[in-house]
Amino acid sequence: MEGQSKRRPGQLPSAKELEELKELFRHHIESFDYMIDGGLEIMLKRVKPVQIIDSFSNKTLRIWLDHPEVYPPQKERSSKTSVGALHPFECRQAKISYTGSLHIDVCFQWDGGVVIREKVNFGEFPIMLRSKRCYLRDADAKKLVACKEESSEMGGYFILNGLERVVRLLILPKRNYPMSLVRNSFRDRREGYTDKAVVIRCVREDLSSVTVKLYYLHNGSARLGFWIQGREYMLPVGIVLKALIDTSDHEIYTKLTCCYNEKNGEVKGAVGTQLVGERTKIILDEVRHLALFTQEQCLQHIGEHFQPVMEGMESENYSSVADAVLRNYIFVHLSDNNDKFNLIIFMVQKLFSLIDQTSAPDNSDSLQNQEVLLPGHLITIYLKEKLEDWLRKGKKLIEDMINNKDKNFDFCSLKDVKKVMDKNSAKQISAAIENLLKTGRLITQTGLDLQQRAGFTVQAERLNYLRFISFFRSVHRGASFAGLRTTSVRKLLPESWGFLCPVHTPDGEPCGLLNHMTCTCRITSYYNSQGNIRDFFKIRMSILDVLVGVGMTTSWPKVDHAGPPQVLPVLLDGCVIGSLPSGEADKVVAHLRRLKVSAASVIPDDLEVGYVPLSLGGTYPGLFLFTTPSRFIRPVRNISIPSVDGKDIELIGPFEQVFMEIKCPDGGNGGRSNSFPATHEELTPTAMLSVVANLTPWSDHNQSPRNMYQCQMAKQTMAFSLQAIQSRADQKLYHLQTPQTPIVRTKTYTKYCMDNYPSGTNAIVAVLAYTGYDMEDAMILNKSSVERGMCHGQIYQTETIDLCDSKSKSDRGQRIFKREHSDKSISSFVDSDGLPYVGQVIHPNAPYCSTINQVTNSKKIFNRKGSETAIVDYVTVDTKNKKHLQKVNIRFRHPRNPVIGDKFSSRHGQKGVCSQLWADIDMPFSGVTGMRPDLIINPHAFPSRMTIAMLLESVAAKGGSLHGKFVDATPFSDAVKGANGKTETESDSLVDELGSMLRDRGFNYHGVEVLYSGVYGTELTCEIFIGPVYYQRLRHMVSDKYQVRATGQVDQITRQPIKGRKRGGGVRFGEMERDAMLAHGAAYLLHDRLHTCSDYHIADVCSLCGSILTTAIVQPPKRVVREIGGLPPAKAPKKVTCHACQTSKGMETVAMPYVFRYLAAELAAMNIKMTIQLSSGAGA
Amino acid sequence: MEGVSYQRFPKVKIRELKDDYAKFELRDTDASMANALRRVMIAEVPTIAIDLVEIEVNSSVLNDEFIAHRLGLIPLTSERAMSMRFSRDCDACDGDGQCEFCSVEFHLRAKCMNDQTLDVTSKDLYSSDHTVVPVDFTDSAGYDSSEQRGIIIVKLRRGQELRLRAIARKGIGKDHAKWSPAATVTFMYEAEIHINEDLMETLTLEEKQSFVESSPTRVFDIDPNTQQVVVVDPEAYTYDDEVIKKAEAMGKPGLVEIYAKEDSFIFTVESTGAIKASQLVLNAIEILKQKLDAVRLSEDTVEADDQFGELGAHMRGG
Repeated sequence: MEGQSKRRPGQLPSAKELEELKELFRHHIESFDYMIDGGLEIMLKRVKPVQIIDSFSNKTLRIWLDHPEVYPPQKERSSKTSVGALHPFECRQAKISYTGSLHIDVCFQWDGGVVIREKVNFGEFPIMLRSKRCYLRDADAKKLVACKEESSEMGGYFILNGLERVVRLLILPKRNYPMSLVRNSFRDRREGYTDKAVVIRCVREDLSSVTVKLYYLHNGSARLGFWIQGREYMLPVGIVLKALIDTSDHEIYTKLTCCYNEKNGEVKGAVGTQLVGERTKIILDEVRHLALFTQEQCLQHIGEHFQPVMEGMESENYSSVADAVLRNYIFVHLSDNNDKFNLIIFMVQKLFSLIDQTSAPDNSDSLQNQEVLLPGHLITIYLKEKLEDWLRKGKKLIEDMINNKDKNFDFCSLKDVKKVMDKNSAKQISAAIENLLKTGRLITQTGLDLQQRAGFTVQAERLNYLRFISFFRSVHRGASFAGLRTTSVRKLLPESWGFLCPVHTPDGEPCGLLNHMTCTCRITSYYNSQGNIRDFFKIRMSILDVLVGVGMTTSWPKVDHAGPPQVLPVLLDGCVIGSLPSGEADKVVAHLRRLKVSAASVIPDDLEVGYVPLSLGGTYPGLFLFTTPSRFIRPVRNISIPSVDGKDIELIGPFEQVFMEIKCPDGGNGGRSNSFPATHEELTPTAMLSVVANLTPWSDHNQSPRNMYQCQMAKQTMAFSLQAIQSRADQKLYHLQTPQTPIVRTKTYTKYCMDNYPSGTNAIVAVLAYTGYDMEDAMILNKSSVERGMCHGQIYQTETIDLCDSKSKSDRGQRIFKREHSDKSISSFVDSDGLPYVGQVIHPNAPYCSTINQVTNSKKIFNRKGSETAIVDYVTVDTKNKKHLQKVNIRFRHPRNPVIGDKFSSRHGQKGVCSQLWADIDMPFSGVTGMRPDLIINPHAFPSRMTIAMLLESVAAKGGSLHGKFVDATPFSDAVKGANGKTETESDSLVDELGSMLRDRGFNYHGVEVLYSGVYGTELTCEIFIGPVYYQRLRHMVSDKYQVRATGQVDQITRQPIKGRKRGGGVRFGEMERDAMLAHGAAYLLHDRLHTCSDYHIADVCSLCGSILTTAIVQPPKRVVREIGGLPPAKAPKKVTCHACQTSKGMETVAMPYVFRYLAAELAAMNIKMTIQLSSGAGA
Repeated sequence: MEGVSYQRFPKVKIRELKDDYAKFELRDTDASMANALRRVMIAEVPTIAIDLVEIEVNSSVLNDEFIAHRLGLIPLTSERAMSMRFSRDCDACDGDGQCEFCSVEFHLRAKCMNDQTLDVTSKDLYSSDHTVVPVDFTDSAGYDSSEQRGIIIVKLRRGQELRLRAIARKGIGKDHAKWSPAATVTFMYEAEIHINEDLMETLTLEEKQSFVESSPTRVFDIDPNTQQVVVVDPEAYTYDDEVIKKAEAMGKPGLVEIYAKEDSFIFTVESTGAIKASQLVLNAIEILKQKLDAVRLSEDTVEADDQFGELGAHMRGG
């Protein structure tokens, strides 16, 4: 294969090779970078200043925040003198967090006087790896290796307490786009509400968001609903319209009804109906009935009602309260009231058209109306709330001091104020952020306009590289959807084509909710392609200029607009900027796209041109433009414009994609009629698959569920996990000893440097039913192959012993690692420093570490738990601490070579369990080459599963090995046709191409060979399909799972065997198993399992009163026992009496389950007596 | 049935003999014999391989088991293996490696002192016995001697060190693949190919050509002079039935008839280098004999004589 990297062993990857890989992580890092570069600054400006009025001195103090600074991580936080860079690998090993300090200026101003700035340390703020505050930011492969990182470390995650955690991308409703929804829950809002509403999620510049809903009422009116402090408030839309600008009823009426024209009738794209006028009258009447006529009256009305809930505005007048309500809760993405007014008009029109069924509701589950929550954005909004809380608390503390009339407190003294504020520690702010990332839980009053409180972060496991990558590419629909019974949210919708991978989703519980982005999918960010922060104001102005230039009428001068179908409303980031004659729209859109693609224009290359054309009852028409960050985008080729110096790649979003004509690059027209030619073309057909799904060779030849299984199994493969394994202290790491790169590979392997982390072995696989040990997905491994090292691996397990963290606080700081010299019993395991020898084999329950309390001289020896022998691989010590070491990491190594019961899988969802390690000489062999297979699978694995690609892989790998080259197995490669209609390959069929490779070397065209029985030496009666297939070893291994017990610990109360593998418990013989036994009539076996081997108990029963609880053993009086005839004295018979009957007559012994006695005791506790009637078996 | 003997006298004809490769014909015997020979060659001819490794210092990137495993797989010259004892049977010692009858000691000391990566190879293993050393491939393989510095065990960077003591013991491939002296042992039935000349003559030259090409290996060819299809190499035939299927597809069934000769085999033996290929075959025959002797001479066999009668007598050489 020509794309195969030509890197020599030991050479580090170049920056160019890692470029594509970097793209996969970019959205995480860019969002964090923006937060540091500008996001925090903007956010602080939006944090409301607090004002404190001292009623005695009548002075006011204003406190606000400004100028955030995040510093790179530093060592030795306690002492200020020694400063050293703290590197990520040190954090991982020392189990600490990778954090840098956050400083914010707190500004104080008394009575509008001089501003006093005080720099306050807000604690240790988590730093994302390879972000702008990370030391690895600009590191090349060589420096990364020097910093003990992977040579292809991409960052994008945080290190907290030594664990790597990523923020999970979350689906949010698309910002600043009014969506029409139909939901039953809207009916329950209040009396008279229908199930229809138009909803918009408005996002401020500082990324915090407020959702506004416009509900439709049965009486024809509408209510604007918004949330303040966890409660929803609904205002009649008329009041809001009038309060926003100084307007007249007539203006509102004409604006609202402009979308209806009698002449239109039922033409295509007419959204208004006659009823719009009627409804408008109702809306206006509502306001009139409240006796509100002017803007001022409306503001007074709003202010009066909202003053109690608006914090800090108790003393303001009503109209300024109303202003604040409108400013802070209604359409917060817009600053101008005219824009807000126009947006309400648009939303009301859209709502009415939804009611009249002239437009269809939007689907909130479709990717078209969704965007994504990025790590930096989540942290910004959380930090904002925490800072506001902090200021509020500080204010309260100062007010308390004033009210207490504390003599020592001087309100005008900066020192005193600061002292009071210090009671409310500033460092907890960063601690809260760290806690969010550690636990994934938000602790918030308002909910931050998010649907869930938990599950925002996950640990990025490095089980293998594919799993690790997938954490950064996964997008979750939201935890609130996981509990829903309906399956509609899990559906694979056509809108997500090209953005979310249809193959790569887990099956089972999170199916369809946890998706993965395709390999070409990107997220828009605040940075442009040059890496500079975008100036959105400038961008919007230039877009406006362009649109005016091509004939858009702006909405700014108040002129009467018509509505669809004559003109289309134009919205730019949720702001109605004007209208466009609908006949012009196609031309304008094409023009915008041309500007998008050309590098010279000011129009950003990721502008989303959502042109919703006129339709009969489809989506509400309009031209919706989006420049905002955190949208999905992907590249396609624009074939409608002449390519200017090779630039024809356009970035498109899911909103516009729905209305675009994009064809597959197969040379055909995709069944389109000539009147609607394709304007765009996919770059490659594999762009619709995620990175992991792209690694399945010829996945287009497999049954689709098999490809899904492979995506899951690839992520649980035991592979070459890490290159920097020597400097890691992960709790558990799986590692394959001698991995290979696959012979049959897709282009993706090279594109993302997958050869740095190979994950399997090219095993010679024969497909035949041999010995019967390959039935039911079992497989036979060649014993000699395994002995030669096939699929060998090990598990690394690190144990951290931190003496400072000791549970018993009494001896903290007194314990040291040491072994007493006199202690010979453990000297062969533990060195004199109390730590194990590296390379030492530690058996179960053997000691590996020893500590001594210096004061009490008591020693503590750590013994190895579990039932497995381990080898000490590595010991690292934390030398940061003063005199003695307090913290060590001991890494154990468990050899895990293949044994019977281990799980393996090919790359086609064909998993199996090793059932035998079969001797080499007994394996069938080829007479020509003498080859014996490494692995035998059963032919029954194929017919029902239809994994044809696995057969192709076998043939191709055989051909590839014979010719000494890699074989390209990129799926859909026969669908890619160049301009001349030719595919990349010469041969017209794949099978023919592969078959002739074999034939050239004297092998059978179909990949079969004549094999001879290894046992008899005779020819097998049929030809056997044999060839190399890339096999993965899965992490599920018997050594971790087997559970066996004869006797052992029992439960204290019931005396039944305990459960749990770790504690040596048993496997539950449950109800269904019992039923099976009954059905077989296996009474003795049943008795054995449920009684004899469980809680067998011999109880003394009093046959007189029938009680088992009142019996007691009577201790016989001690008497001298004599030996009789040299024999040991006979044991005196146990004497049992019944306390209730005061006699030992009628005592019987009965075998019963011990729980029965427990039941009797429990019943007795409830004053229920249980009596047992005894009768001999014969009499019963 | 008195007097009927099943005894046969197999013949061996050697075709090709190199140090690590042998090809010979085995005639006048049956598949059970041929397969027994193959199985013994792979699994029961003893060699010497490193079995016990004591690691003193290992600061390389590979862990101890990994290195021990790699050492075990290095082929050692094992001409002496047949006369050595298994350490479990050795009376002279308790199997600790000091005994000359059952074990050989190796030492390896390597430390990288400069910035260049140091390759630790099988040449760095020092043997206590000059007859048992890592196999030297330099001469026979024909590679550049500069590139072939033995089998790489591990690569060391500056400051890394590997110091170990290893004990090699005698063993057989059945116990662990590292003791198997054979890389490949395989046999094929000799093929007997009959071309129906009359039927063949009915074919045109193109048809003949396509018939010849239907076999992936070059079994047939067309005589340039007579333009007749001739068998050039019956041994190249892999029993893949391609030509028979082709003949049927051409509507000429019976164009060729191919039989496998049930009693003649062509053996291919490739050795790992531990023993010469020729010696491997001889050793295998020797061991096969020993195994048969063990059956024949064991007390069970004598007791079973009554049951098997004639067979028992036959096995005792009668």
